[in-house]
Amino acid sequence: MTKNNQSSSAGKTGIMRFFGRAMKNQAFSMFIILIAMWIVLAFMSPYFFTVSNIFEITLQTAVVAIIAAGETFITLTGGLDLSVGSTFACSAVLGGLVFQATQNLFLSLATTLLSGLVFGLINGLLITGLKVPPFIATLGMMGIARGFALIFSRGIPIFGLPPTYMWIGQGKLFNLIPIPTVIMVLVFIVAYLLLNYTRFGRFIFAIGSNTEAARLSGIPVAKVTIGIYAICGLLCGIASTIEAGRLGTIQPAGGNGYELLAIGAVVIGGTSTFGGEGSIIATLIGAIIVTTIRNGLNIIGVNAFWQQVVNGMIIIGAVATDQMRRHK
Amino acid sequence: MAKLLVMKDISKSFYGVKALKNVNFDLESGEVHILLGENGAGKSTLIKILSGAYRADSGNIELEGKHIDISRLGPRMAEEIGIATIYQSFHLIPHLTVAENLMLPRFVRDGGMFIHWKAVFQDAKNALDALDFDIDPHAKVKDLSVSKKQMLEIAIALSKNAKILIMDEPTAALSQKEIEILFSTIARIKERGIGIIYISHKIEEIKRIGDRVTVLRDGSAIATVNPKTTSAEELISIMIGKTISSHNRRVVTSAGKTLFEVKGLQNQNFSKPINFEIYEHEILGIAGLVGSGKTELAQAIFGIDRLDSGKISLEGNKIVITSPRSAVMRGIGYLPEDRDACGLCLNMGVKENMSLANLAQLHSLTYSHVHETQSVQSMVDDIAVKTPELSQQVKYLSGGNKQKVILGKWLLANCRLLILDEPTIGIDVGARSEIYELIRNFAGDPGHSVLFISSDIDEILEISNRLLVMSQWQIVAELDPDKSSKNEIMQYSLGTRTRISHD
Repeated sequence: MTKNNQSSSAGKTGIMRFFGRAMKNQAFSMFIILIAMWIVLAFMSPYFFTVSNIFEITLQTAVVAIIAAGETFITLTGGLDLSVGSTFACSAVLGGLVFQATQNLFLSLATTLLSGLVFGLINGLLITGLKVPPFIATLGMMGIARGFALIFSRGIPIFGLPPTYMWIGQGKLFNLIPIPTVIMVLVFIVAYLLLNYTRFGRFIFAIGSNTEAARLSGIPVAKVTIGIYAICGLLCGIASTIEAGRLGTIQPAGGNGYELLAIGAVVIGGTSTFGGEGSIIATLIGAIIVTTIRNGLNIIGVNAFWQQVVNGMIIIGAVATDQMRRHK
Repeated sequence: MAKLLVMKDISKSFYGVKALKNVNFDLESGEVHILLGENGAGKSTLIKILSGAYRADSGNIELEGKHIDISRLGPRMAEEIGIATIYQSFHLIPHLTVAENLMLPRFVRDGGMFIHWKAVFQDAKNALDALDFDIDPHAKVKDLSVSKKQMLEIAIALSKNAKILIMDEPTAALSQKEIEILFSTIARIKERGIGIIYISHKIEEIKRIGDRVTVLRDGSAIATVNPKTTSAEELISIMIGKTISSHNRRVVTSAGKTLFEVKGLQNQNFSKPINFEIYEHEILGIAGLVGSGKTELAQAIFGIDRLDSGKISLEGNKIVITSPRSAVMRGIGYLPEDRDACGLCLNMGVKENMSLANLAQLHSLTYSHVHETQSVQSMVDDIAVKTPELSQQVKYLSGGNKQKVILGKWLLANCRLLILDEPTIGIDVGARSEIYELIRNFAGDPGHSVLFISSDIDEILEISNRLLVMSQWQIVAELDPDKSSKNEIMQYSLGTRTRISHD
């Protein structure tokens, strides 16, 4: 996002310079790729460009994009969160159990969001306090949270969610815009403001660019790091309520492989896995690309198992392209 | 006989900016030809063209009279035709032995697929002996001293039949004794007819080992002279294009009230508790050799290393510093020795780097972007940071400008005490005097003072109002720079003279 700041601060540029900068802008070039993909898919399947399918894409995007927003914060500091899928499942299960016990929806949603936050908090504390590398800390948490999701639910999906809960996943604003899409847009607006207009956001970039320089400049590196993991966990909680609302059930095995989708969205968006460089808007477009590929493969009738293969290849391809661009 | 190397009319542009303009350079065998110039003058560009890292836009290169196709000159071709670079940061493999590094990748095989280790070590020993290099082939590279690593790099280059050695500030990381070893090594390899291109800022060493010196300025070769018959002042004025007065005596002299005081500071590093105070407007120098505890003292005060005991007070009030953050919040700034690794977020802009400490001091969630841009812009103008725009990534700035960005960061954070650890290391003469000026101006402002740490005794004598000498992890002397000498400071540093005038 520093790039965006740069173009605005430079100001007064000619149309050619603007275009040159726009092409260098990761979000913009990703957007072009997305449009190109849509055009290709529209030719391949007449069903693709229908209104219901476009909404389906934004709906499907919401869950991945919200998790990817959290993952972007972490990736910008040079970290990684592998536990997003498990946190997603476990926080939803805990919320679901609270609902079954109390029939109180507010309490249930609060439990889901809070437990997501706590899982993230623990990740952050492990990384800053015990100096466990992010890869290991969140890999461990991936197992722990998944295990607890299965233990607490005894491996059985939770049914009987109230209509209001369903509304989060299935409702429409003005009878038109899906609620998940609305939540997603709100999350990204907040994330954008946080990254580009607050001290916290600037500190995230600084830590990712050079942790030692950030620390010696007086930045509370540990607090910021714990904060971003907590935010990522909270966003997993939010995403899980959307998915539960959509499906009408809470699946203890849900969110499996979502870390692949979320990290895929982040790196397709061009956020550097070394930290310090990237953009939240590019992540949103990356998430739409990931979902479009999934959706497109469905529509043209590709076996679901192949989708994981494609996802994996996309992550590697995106980072490889980024590396080539950097070393040119 | 043809010259070893002739580079003619070499030009190179980066994104429309001319880095080299029709530069001519030549090298005889058995010669040390020095390249001198300020950072950004084009020295590195020129040697990178020769070593194949960059491609020249135009020009001719001849090696021993044979024309070299510059469009095909890449790193591999450079190695094949005998051009080797001895890098500042060594690219040896630390966990392998000297012999393995030296013979890599051409290990002698045991007839079949296995490596004949005995032969490998014997060959390595022969190669080192032939050069008269005293290095044990069985030693692990990570256990070697810096100068031995450098010798090993030279041995590797020569084993690949290098005819030209490029050395980029080879003495930067060496002690005085190691420098002597390097110079005698250079003398020995000169005898073998090897030509050496040597980059350095240090006038004394240029005069000592250079046969010729070519001065680059703004991408052009300004002059080629004999360093032995050219005075230091002359060399500097050719390099920076203007004459500077060699001694810019300090203006701050009177000691006022105590601004900062350290009492009984102790942690696992120091052999004796540290006591000293700094007065307002004072530049307190700390001299000492590498490994005397200077840097560790700075790190203890700034909250990087844990303190076991000790009292620190600022303007008479006791303060507790537990982390760099708490030091920054109290108005203490630290310029670390390694500016790229610890001082700068290299891929962030000038603006983001300069406002960082100030932002860290705030308590609000948001901040004014307009105010940020304005204050950074006026600081950039004030201290003359040369940057095309505020958003320029700092990694593209020269060493002097990078250092100005860090200084600017602390100025914007309204620091009262600046701790500077080797602030002019690797910075050329022109930028150096600007940085001294900045430091003096800072100390001149009310409520400010500076702790100036340096291994360069001339520098410390020139800039400080008072100085402490550290040796063996303690403060061994307090001196008045006007009444002291390089010799005296050296004696205290080496421990050949002891006296504690202040306790």
